[in-house]
Amino acid sequence: MSDFSYQEKSILGSLAAMLVVYTYYFGSTLRDLGRREFGNGGLARLVFAVIALIVIEIVYHIVLALESHPEPKDERDTLIESKAYKTAYFFLATGISLLAAGIIVFNTLALHSHEALGTVSAFATVNLILLAMVLAESAKFLTQLFYYRRGLR
Amino acid sequence: MTSSRIRNNVRRLRFNASEMTQQELAERVGVTRQTVIAIEGEKYSPSLEVAFRIARVFGVPLEEVFQYEATAP
Repeated sequence: MSDFSYQEKSILGSLAAMLVVYTYYFGSTLRDLGRREFGNGGLARLVFAVIALIVIEIVYHIVLALESHPEPKDERDTLIESKAYKTAYFFLATGISLLAAGIIVFNTLALHSHEALGTVSAFATVNLILLAMVLAESAKFLTQLFYYRRGLR
Repeated sequence: MTSSRIRNNVRRLRFNASEMTQQELAERVGVTRQTVIAIEGEKYSPSLEVAFRIARVFGVPLEEVFQYEATAP
């Protein structure tokens, strides 16, 4: 990692922290997806995950600032970031569209089915939206790392 | 379709300017050292404003720093 710039180290740290926290969160939440309501347990876990992510990010960036020379963003950083946001928007829009279509199809099938399929709960919907956001953010970080390594020719 | 490539002499101009470091050039132009490295490696074409600032640091016309090459494939 010695040839990585400050911005790349910052992005790598944020990506790693997000993947660790949300892998734990979604892993422990997966078994609760069948629940009907977004109850206290699920909400507490989500709040804990968000706080843990913020704390990890702050500690990591303090250590990074002490170990390497922090550089303010310049026009290249901004350009790379704008390209990354484009990728993230594509992932987020696709994820939300697929989710909406999936819920409509599932609920329509459930309505016309003789079996008790139930409908998609608020708990599941909130977590699937969160998953789409995490995937979009991961795509943003990976796009930034790609352009930092490959260049912008 | 025409492909283009912008070449530059930043590395040579740095050495001619009393072996100016990438960090010093970056500070004088107002970009990061990583951006200077990317420009020298022709992995990034800077904005017109940064290009003019680089030329001003070396005291030469823009054309002496950057050259535009257009080639038909």
